[in-house]
Amino acid sequence: MKKNCLLLVMCLLMVHLAFAQNTIPVQGRVVDASTGQPLIGAGVAVQGTSIGTQTDVNGNYTINAPADGTLVISYIAYQNAQVPVNNRNTINIELQQDTEALEEVVVVGYGVQEKRDVTGSIASVTNEELVKQASQNPVSSLQGKVAGVTITNSGAPGASPQIRIRGAGSALGSADPLYVVDGTFVDNLSFLNPADIESIEILKDASSAAIYGVRAANGVVLVTTKRGKAGDSRVNYNGFVGVQRVTNALEMTDAQEYATLINEKNGTELIPTDLPTTDWYDQILRTALIQNHQVSASGGSEKITYSASAGYLNQEGIIEGNEYERITARLQTDFELSENVKVGYNGIFYNYNSLDIPGDIFYQAFVAPPIIPVFKANGNYGDSFDFNVGNFANPQASIDWFKQESSGQQFIGNAFGEVEFLNNFTFRTSLGVNYGLNEFTNYRSQDSLTSVQYASRSLLTQGRSKRTSWLWENTLTYDKVFGEHEITALLGTSAQENKFENFVGSVNDVEFNSDANLYLDLGDPETFLIEADGDRFTFLSYFGRINYTFRDKYLLTATLRYDASSKFPSSDRWEYFPSVGLGWRVIEEEFMQDQTILDNLKLRASWGRLGNNNIPSSIFILPVSTDARYGSIFNGVLYPGRNITQVVSPTLYWEVVEEVDLGVEMGFLNNRLTAEIDWYNKETKDAIFGLTPLGYLGLTGEIRGNYATFRNRGLEAVVNWTDDISDDITYNIGLNFAVNKNEVTGIATGNNVFFNGNLPVGGYQVSITRIGDPIGAFYGYEVDGIFQNEQEVAASAQPNARPGDFRYRDLNDDNIIDERDKTIIGDPNPGFVFGINTGFSYRNFDFVLDIQGVSDVDIYNGNRNVRYGNENFSQDFFDNRWTGPGTSNFYPSASLIGSNLDPNDFFVESGDYIRIRNLQVGYNLPQSLVNNWGMQNFRIYVNAQNPITWFDYNGFSPEVGGVPVSQGIDRNVYPLSATYNFGVNVTF
Amino acid sequence: MKNIFYSIKRNSFILISTLAIGGLYSCSEDFLDVEPEGVPVGEDFFVTGEHAMQAVNSIYGNLREWNNIAFAHLAITTITSDNAEKGSVPGDAGFLDNFDNLTVTPTEGQLNGYWNGQYQGINLANQVLTNVPQINMDESLKARLLAEAKFFRAYHYFNLVRAFGGVPLRLSVPLPGEQEDPEQLNLPRASKEDVYAQIVEDLREAAQVLPVNYDAANEGRATKGAALGMLAKVQLYQKNWQEVLDLTEQIMGLGYSLTPNYYDIFRISGENNNESIFEIQAATIPGNCGASNSQWAEVQGVRGQFGWGFVEPTQDLVEAYEEGDERLDATILFRGETTPEGDVISESAPNPRYNQKAYVPSFVTNECGYGRDQNIRILRFAEVLLMHAEAANELGRTEQALETLNMVRVRAGLEPIESATQEELRNLIWQERRVELALENGDRFFDLVRQGRAAEVLQALGKNFVEGKNEVFPIPQQQINLSGGTLTQNPGY
Repeated sequence: MKKNCLLLVMCLLMVHLAFAQNTIPVQGRVVDASTGQPLIGAGVAVQGTSIGTQTDVNGNYTINAPADGTLVISYIAYQNAQVPVNNRNTINIELQQDTEALEEVVVVGYGVQEKRDVTGSIASVTNEELVKQASQNPVSSLQGKVAGVTITNSGAPGASPQIRIRGAGSALGSADPLYVVDGTFVDNLSFLNPADIESIEILKDASSAAIYGVRAANGVVLVTTKRGKAGDSRVNYNGFVGVQRVTNALEMTDAQEYATLINEKNGTELIPTDLPTTDWYDQILRTALIQNHQVSASGGSEKITYSASAGYLNQEGIIEGNEYERITARLQTDFELSENVKVGYNGIFYNYNSLDIPGDIFYQAFVAPPIIPVFKANGNYGDSFDFNVGNFANPQASIDWFKQESSGQQFIGNAFGEVEFLNNFTFRTSLGVNYGLNEFTNYRSQDSLTSVQYASRSLLTQGRSKRTSWLWENTLTYDKVFGEHEITALLGTSAQENKFENFVGSVNDVEFNSDANLYLDLGDPETFLIEADGDRFTFLSYFGRINYTFRDKYLLTATLRYDASSKFPSSDRWEYFPSVGLGWRVIEEEFMQDQTILDNLKLRASWGRLGNNNIPSSIFILPVSTDARYGSIFNGVLYPGRNITQVVSPTLYWEVVEEVDLGVEMGFLNNRLTAEIDWYNKETKDAIFGLTPLGYLGLTGEIRGNYATFRNRGLEAVVNWTDDISDDITYNIGLNFAVNKNEVTGIATGNNVFFNGNLPVGGYQVSITRIGDPIGAFYGYEVDGIFQNEQEVAASAQPNARPGDFRYRDLNDDNIIDERDKTIIGDPNPGFVFGINTGFSYRNFDFVLDIQGVSDVDIYNGNRNVRYGNENFSQDFFDNRWTGPGTSNFYPSASLIGSNLDPNDFFVESGDYIRIRNLQVGYNLPQSLVNNWGMQNFRIYVNAQNPITWFDYNGFSPEVGGVPVSQGIDRNVYPLSATYNFGVNVTF
Repeated sequence: MKNIFYSIKRNSFILISTLAIGGLYSCSEDFLDVEPEGVPVGEDFFVTGEHAMQAVNSIYGNLREWNNIAFAHLAITTITSDNAEKGSVPGDAGFLDNFDNLTVTPTEGQLNGYWNGQYQGINLANQVLTNVPQINMDESLKARLLAEAKFFRAYHYFNLVRAFGGVPLRLSVPLPGEQEDPEQLNLPRASKEDVYAQIVEDLREAAQVLPVNYDAANEGRATKGAALGMLAKVQLYQKNWQEVLDLTEQIMGLGYSLTPNYYDIFRISGENNNESIFEIQAATIPGNCGASNSQWAEVQGVRGQFGWGFVEPTQDLVEAYEEGDERLDATILFRGETTPEGDVISESAPNPRYNQKAYVPSFVTNECGYGRDQNIRILRFAEVLLMHAEAANELGRTEQALETLNMVRVRAGLEPIESATQEELRNLIWQERRVELALENGDRFFDLVRQGRAAEVLQALGKNFVEGKNEVFPIPQQQINLSGGTLTQNPGY
């Protein structure tokens, strides 16, 4: 069956060749009309045929054309020229710059489009902006650059930031957008060196993204890597070295303050107050080095163009022993086999090695009492047992004991063939592969470090996971101008298979002399344990798009995608995802010709429907639970235990996003001032939610179904000002901001409320999803002060409270504090996100200052809520706590237990922040000097990334993130760090 | 000519394209039907006898779960009682103080854990009871497996009804989509009587089928004695004295005997011995710490030396033992003592006393954590004798009562009781129950409630026991929330 499929699809590849005609040879040169400079790679074609060529490095071309034919010469950002051949053998052509060609070209799905013809909301970030950031991950470079895109960074080396486009578009899963790199779908961009990227386009609205149908509910990030240009041979070196330092470290109590708090809390002199202090953050944090180098080369002849690069990144973590090393390599070549046949490929390879740290090390350092010494006098690790405060790991011991290396390779490649035929048709087939391997080796030696950190047998754990995926896409494009009508039509098919395999083995008692001993078969065979799992899913899609422009004024884009995914049951597998976008370039109208205020005015409106495939595979199929804990033990022997502990929804269908976008684009003062404003309403219908089952059903995990409908509605604005004060001084200021409001509009289940967001202690859930409120809003008691004395307690609705406890507001006035008194106490969905990007250049100096921030967002301070026992406290808590009548009416006493830990608004804090994202000063060495060195350009710069972040939140970082239904709960305390770099860009 | 040729070519192109797309479509369903990788599928389960066995095994495995034997279990059944305090060091797991002081509120997380843990066991049993009858397999094995599942459904409901009173009585498996259907959703709380009636029915049916004993490879499965013993206890809670007497006498005819040395019962060598009626089976499975997951002993082990030191025996319990009672030293591990196995309990241990029934000698492996090998004794012959004595006394059969009571006393190195009034004997039996079973299976708090003297006993120790409220624990608030208020709260909470 599969073979038949392949054969049939081969039909799509059939090539229809054009005919040769009686012709004469024509040659000539294409130059810029104003400067006389040759134009390299300009297209020269015979009108009405598929005959065409490109100019060479000197702007020269040769073509065989009908003696009575017409040549069409085209070049990006220049006006097309049409020149009758008139039996001439030499035709030199001057092209006029297109005055409207300020309009850049943007990449859209399966094609490119001039920005002015776009009817949706697409943001574009170019290489120039990316390399200014000196950052390791392309996604973090986007922070603050694009209106409506919220990026939440993680401080961990090699980690991918979380990205949200126009709010959370889906509830279950990551709500991450689709990443498309040169046509291949990938999970993240951590394998890419930002310097390799030509541009990143973000398809924000449904009509732009609808061509990606089922994958596009959370937006699409299109990455185009660099491609070589004919004749434009150059070699580049980009590199920087820098240091990373933690900023905004949270001040914790010292030993004396800690002892005071614990004694207060427990009502006894449990701990002496004269013990020496260990500052655990000081102990485990360090200034980390980072270096990044990249060499790239590109160029080519008329027939072959290439681009290649190699990069090396070495980043130390801010924790001792943590290191991440990445090698990236890329090779791209395009071949023009004949006038109308083009083939090419693009391959990206990356390899990483990492020395890892324990996943909970920041948590350990956060809770570890400061009275525990790093080492005891006898040289052993300090042990919480010696202090009778409860079980705490010694963070230094954890780091020293932890031995884990991981590594991975990934290859992302794409090969294509393109045929132009019948003048207006282009057929393209492309095959993409994504192959990745990740491995780790963890060895826990037999050791006894503290009373809670010990192992009586060593344990070797090794894991390997493999990903293979292929994507085959075929498109047929038709391009034609009929008088005032311009049409581009696209038809396409797409098929994809993804497969993951994961294998982990462990064994005890491997004798360790060197890393060379770390093989599973060297352990005690009685203790072998193997765990393996996998995943496979497929997609099949058909899609089409029509772009129609009438009189260069009226624009239409219509798309339709018909998608199927194996993730859904066969009854609900196929779905249509249509969209339509309309544009009106008002500035072109007669009545606009007399006004002088506006240089550009375009109105856009679009509607589209998208799907979400960010759900686990086969969630409609009931699994059997096989967990080891279900095994029964009789007479010391383990017997497998299996049973059914879940239910699956009988009907599961596509969750769809429908979005309306209205936009206006304006230009003033000779387009020095531009503005773009978008309003959108994005509705996620029948969103797949995980429902916590009623306990008496005895299930494990969630029940998933199409349970809720919610919407994101907002406004985005981008304003840019570019000007020069003199020939020496130019500057630009860009401002972007977005407001977004999230609201749940419908819920399909009986009880109309979803609780999520587990807090660390006591099984509390703080996030609620219910009609009329934002998804995952914080829900709990309002604190109405602190009980100052027993009389106040006795007179209150909380008879069991103690002085120093929270007094909760009795919202229904029934003199009982219970669930009915809970209310919405915060919203973790960012309401306002902004960025200010400025550039300034004076002669050879350039200067960049980028500011970025978020406001109207709440965080639930889950770290402060971690009170199993005698965890450390923050300095802020020590300074402000209640210690007796009249001492505080906001902070409770140190005895933060019991109902004080019920979700309440004391723990809700503003997550607003404003940050200097990037501060950079560069200097271009004088051209004369550089030319003597055989270079075209030599620039040095210093930059500071994230040097300052201002926020009020009592935590390490206001960037918390999380899945939509339980986002914004800070249970992870990875500190923020600043990076200071010195860098060089050289072009040979 | 050219035009015609073009149009033919065009048409053929369209034709071929259409065929290609149509062909793609027809084969696409194969391409899109993807089986879940690496996971057995529910629809292929409950087909063979082996599946039936695996499903029953899962019920046993679930007994070792954290919620069923660690914090939640110990908090609700033992820390609440006069036998133990929270233990560990002040502030550590401070929420357990609320159990110690009986100031638990509905949002206390351990309640929800206990609730879920029991109901997860009930679901595993319901899966067996619903699906195994249709399996084509050895009929006698099938009957036994169904009886085992009934035993555990009753066991978990008994835990629930003691802790919460009436609870939703779920006897079938959850159905797909059920929770979305308001008609099926929100089973209200059944009455306490209905829950007890179901427990009795399940245990009766189980006792009829279960074997008296198993071969060595199945040692630890629920037996006839276990079902009868559990049924006797359930009847004891309902004061059905004649039933208790008949059941305990039936068990006394099954060949159980008292272990000569009380201390030996709680050692690994004493597991499943001739006094044992039912134990939760646990062991270290080398290399498989996921299955070696019983933390019952670790939670209670000597703090710093072995485990975490929770469930600290009270001075009140120490004083409850008569002079010469061998059980005192076997039940309580004192700071500074040397165990018969040679472990010296640190003088600097933070708590003066620990639960010795959870003591595992240091020579036993701790590769998956301390005490993973310790079985949890749920029911043993001595308790059957004491239930017999209690029932006989209530029925006025003093001689019979004294006989079984004294069997237990004499084994502990105490003098037999010669005579007593019914009232005196009742108190003597209650006292004997306390010292014989202390810190073992979590009966003490519920015994006090059953005996109607919880307020008196616990208030005397300064605990905040409120009559008419603290006999049961609050229904977990999370469950009330999930039910949209259909589950009602217990009075006073």
